[in-house]
Amino acid sequence: MRYTLKVRWMETITHDIIIVGAGIAGLRAAIAAAEISNKIDVSILSKVHPIRSHSVCAQGGTAATLREGDSYNLHAWDTVKGSDFLADQNVAEFFVKQAPKEVITLEHWGCPWSRTPDGKINQRPFGGHSFPRACFAADMTGLHEMHTLYGRAVMQENITFYNEWFATSIIIQNNISKGLTAIELKTGEMHALRAKAIIMATGGCERIYAFTTFSHTATGDGMTIAYRAGVPLKDMEFIQFHPTGLVPSGVLITEGARGEGGYLINADGERFMKRYAPEKMELAPRDIIARAETTEIQEGRGLDGPYGPYIALDLRHLGEEKIKERLPLIHDVAIKLGGVNPVEEPIPIKPAAHYSMGGIHANIRTETPASGLYAAGEGACLSIHGANRLGTNSTSDCLVFGFVAGEEAAKYALSKDSRELPQDKILAEERRVFDQVLGSEGDERVSVLRDEMRRIMNDKVWIFRREDELQSALKEIRQLKKRFKSVKIEDEGRSFNTGLVAALQLDFTLDLAEVTIISALARTESRGAHSRLDYPKRDDENWLKHTLAYHTKEGPRLEYIPVTITKWPPSARAY
Amino acid sequence: MVSKKEKVVEFKIRRFDPERNERYLSTYKVPTLMGMTILDALLYIKDNLDGTLTFRHSCRMGQCGSCGILVNGKPILACYTQVLQLGVGVLEIEPLPNLPVIKDLVVDFNSFFEKFVKIKPILIRAEEELRKPTEFVQTPNDLKKYWDESICVKCSLCYGSCPAAIDMEFLGPSSLTTNYRFIVDTRDDGLSERLKTASETIWLCTSCSSCTLSCPKEIDCATVLDNERGLIVEEGILVPRTAKDVLTSALKHHNPVRMSPAKRTEWSSGLEIKELPTTGKTDVLYFVGCLPSYDARNQEIAKSIAQIFRKIDVDFATLGNEEWCCGDHILRLGEKGLFEMLAEHNASLFKKYGFNRIVTISPHCYHTFKNDKPYTDIRLNVQHYTQFISEAFKNGRLRPVKAIKKKVTYHDPCFLGKRSGIYDEPREILKAIPGLELVEMGRSRENSFCCGGGAGRIWTEEATPENRPCVNRAKEALELGVEVIATACPFCVSTLEDAVKVLDAEDKIVVKDISELVKEAL
Ligand SMILES: Cc1cc2nc3c(=O)[nH]c(=O)nc-3n(C[C@H](O)[C@H](O)[C@H](O)COP(=O)(O)OP(=O)(O)OC[C@H]3O[C@@H](n4cnc5c(N)ncnc54)[C@H](O)[C@@H]3O)c2cc1C
Ligand code: SF4
Ligand code: SF4
Ligand code: FES
Repeated sequence: MRYTLKVRWMETITHDIIIVGAGIAGLRAAIAAAEISNKIDVSILSKVHPIRSHSVCAQGGTAATLREGDSYNLHAWDTVKGSDFLADQNVAEFFVKQAPKEVITLEHWGCPWSRTPDGKINQRPFGGHSFPRACFAADMTGLHEMHTLYGRAVMQENITFYNEWFATSIIIQNNISKGLTAIELKTGEMHALRAKAIIMATGGCERIYAFTTFSHTATGDGMTIAYRAGVPLKDMEFIQFHPTGLVPSGVLITEGARGEGGYLINADGERFMKRYAPEKMELAPRDIIARAETTEIQEGRGLDGPYGPYIALDLRHLGEEKIKERLPLIHDVAIKLGGVNPVEEPIPIKPAAHYSMGGIHANIRTETPASGLYAAGEGACLSIHGANRLGTNSTSDCLVFGFVAGEEAAKYALSKDSRELPQDKILAEERRVFDQVLGSEGDERVSVLRDEMRRIMNDKVWIFRREDELQSALKEIRQLKKRFKSVKIEDEGRSFNTGLVAALQLDFTLDLAEVTIISALARTESRGAHSRLDYPKRDDENWLKHTLAYHTKEGPRLEYIPVTITKWPPSARAY
Repeated sequence: MVSKKEKVVEFKIRRFDPERNERYLSTYKVPTLMGMTILDALLYIKDNLDGTLTFRHSCRMGQCGSCGILVNGKPILACYTQVLQLGVGVLEIEPLPNLPVIKDLVVDFNSFFEKFVKIKPILIRAEEELRKPTEFVQTPNDLKKYWDESICVKCSLCYGSCPAAIDMEFLGPSSLTTNYRFIVDTRDDGLSERLKTASETIWLCTSCSSCTLSCPKEIDCATVLDNERGLIVEEGILVPRTAKDVLTSALKHHNPVRMSPAKRTEWSSGLEIKELPTTGKTDVLYFVGCLPSYDARNQEIAKSIAQIFRKIDVDFATLGNEEWCCGDHILRLGEKGLFEMLAEHNASLFKKYGFNRIVTISPHCYHTFKNDKPYTDIRLNVQHYTQFISEAFKNGRLRPVKAIKKKVTYHDPCFLGKRSGIYDEPREILKAIPGLELVEMGRSRENSFCCGGGAGRIWTEEATPENRPCVNRAKEALELGVEVIATACPFCVSTLEDAVKVLDAEDKIVVKDISELVKEAL
């Protein structure tokens, strides 16, 4: 007999603001909220310790307009053009103006930005940016941003940390957000937390794919949590593929490696980018390079390796000194995880799932349609990145809109009374997690279903998409959703049940896979990262609009809203 | 590039079930490909063999610090270590030490992170300056000064291997290194505050170097802590009395133990040992060091080695009363100026007299002669006595003939093993002694656990018994059921012997220097 758990939540925990997610966006939000007033009681909850969050992996840099020669207009234009005109231009314009302040703030808190000879913050070129505006801390930008933010946040007395608490649901009633449920992993207890404002900063969902640059924890939980609570997900068909995922693990080789002058080479020893983006070559935007690589591989010009065909990233001509100084992490990672020394050999790479352009629908003030619920970071979609994000714009986005979310939520919380949690919703969630998932008596293994989902997404919802493949993927994902109902979790204990966590994450990702496919099926055009072989052209007449996916019992229901255009009417996107 | 060849590797994993409060061992066989990391293998086990196995992981690229574990006694990041590169067929896997275990390989990091909060992991600057709209200027050179220390991922591998961290008060290598990273950062104004925080517990660090050896980011915490103590000593006021006494004594008496310089050679009275100040030259300069010169217990070691020299007619001489403390502990305590004074003196004697090589008793003398300026400015041929004896065993000049029928374990002195890479010679000597059975402790060689005597801690020790590394270490030897703990360092002999007393185990186990065992066996 399975052992069922009795009353796992005790009393309700109360804060003014709860932030779910402690990556760059979540930590930035927590600090911003806490700084509004020391009377505000802020809490931040994360399924991993904050500095274990995915954000520590960001390598190449953070985009900001800091120097003469660059301008807000130029950064905004690059962003809009990069987005294949699906960005909301008012948001992009606001975003670029706020980014420099964030870079400077981090500097003041101790971030060890790489420097110019005269001691200023150094910047390097990055794909799709027409000015070298990527601020960087060698190739460990995210690590340093995160440790700086974490340092600042722990020094703030009005921030409470719930480390290794796994959020399972948020509670929205009459379109007002009230609180959430979360499992404290150490004890396995479920808790109910209530707050006047909640910020979702739970990151991307790249782990719906098999080959990805992202951490194992990037399962998009917050997206599904919000979606199930009635908040729409926006533009989920847009997944960025990064051109340089290390074979076989998918670990990222930063675009900085090409920024520093690295070449992409096919089996004929040719710098093939000259046929796809003759001007920008290896520094063309990611979607273009990822497609070029895929075409090279599909047409038989990939190099042969034990893990299938791959492309070579050649850094050798940069020389040992430059590689070690500018790309120390890549040097280490290539040796430790790829088994090649980039000073002596090209690095084996191929495209990997790398960014979720879509996410929880939110506006320029990070407000979602539900009152008191905010979203920021990669898990949100404020429509800055549109159909394709430019490298280094994500960490800036997390900083800028983490800050905005913190301030907005704090102002909101200060003006509202505390809220009661509807007990029936908590009980229902408790039953879902412990009785239906943990207590399920089936025979399906989480790992089997998970790998199956990732394989389907990799095979059929990858860089080039087609109606028939998407349809078949949808059918298969829906079968997996059925099979999930008879999942069996081997670990029956309470404390640190990573089996339960994996099952809950799988459940979340299955919804996201479904939304991604349905949104991709509907969008009968090719734009940015979304390439339909059966609809190879961008179609502004019909598709210059955002997809919104709403949760219903029958599956996602799609709606569309217009793109905001301020200065730049759509034009051809050539590099 | 990676190949497809497969090898089956056995994983023996130490488990803990918190619900049943039960420890147990699970063994799994994992087919391993070239390129597969330990984390990949753990995931393979969880997915295919045992869904209850519990461990942390996230980034799988060595950046998030989640996946630290012990593999065959060595702290590593599971995601950053290739299985086949370890070159062994059986892997024993345990959770990181010094932190409470929650379940299986998952430890509770809370206390570890609380220590980062204590050191204020953020720039200390006046609030109004933080509002400036432009960056603080910092040249690439100034950035370089702390960059290497800034890339810590807080994985706790160093903390898990740190002997001083068995004392919960100790801030630990990584926090103290982060503190130093801010001290050196030209933008930080918190110097005195930071030194104060560090000064409260930094003296517990023994300079054993375990932290440095275990860091996946190659951060040299051990040296950082030496430097940090250096800054505290420069400030003066924050140095505890016990440490001050050591420094004052070294300044006044040229030894840390407050003994008269004139009595340095008393141990050898009646032995008629040659002294360089009178003979001028010799083959072997026998550098005795302070503890063997002054401490009754350790004088036995000085005598044993002299007798061994005699046995094979080595032409040797000491520096007599002209020998001063080598300065190692003084340097590690942070008093660079005083170290230099002592070292300059010894170095000038090394230049003045004629000899072919130096043989030291203490690994500390050995290490500083080989690694620290001004000693390194002279080309010295230095040997630790275990190297000397092992060589004499090998070329047949010296032969152990008398059997010592005992079960013996060997404790690696940190400055001999971890810091100098001398692991084999002491073991070769012990194995050459007839009848002697050498049994290894779980923590040995580069994973050895410090006796707690280094960086002057032998004299500043105030911790309670359970917080003393030597007690922890002596217990390990006792649990092994050996009769002798052999070692090759005067400080280890003293601390471990003390620990045996504290544990009231004098009838079960004795501490011997290798030289004493050799002498017995001749
Ligand atoms: C290898 C790599 C390199 C990159 N380099 C760059 C770069 O150079 N520049 C750039 O701009 N972008 C880069 N990116 C992208 C960028 O790193 C991410 O988009 C960004 O870090 C996302 O930050 P975030 O704060 O939104 O979320 P994350 O950092 O992913 O944090 C998510 C947080 O949510 C928490 N969470 C999730 N689910 C739950 C739950 N159910 N309950 C509780 N907590 C939960 C997690 O614990 C975590 O704290 C890179 C990405 C990768 C993979
Ligand atoms: S040198 Fe040894 S005692 Fe000192 S911090 Fe490092 S591991 Fe701990
Ligand atoms: S100093 Fe090294 S071993 Fe210690 S926590 Fe930092 S990265 Fe890990
Ligand atoms: S999983 Fe992040 S360091 Fe190993």
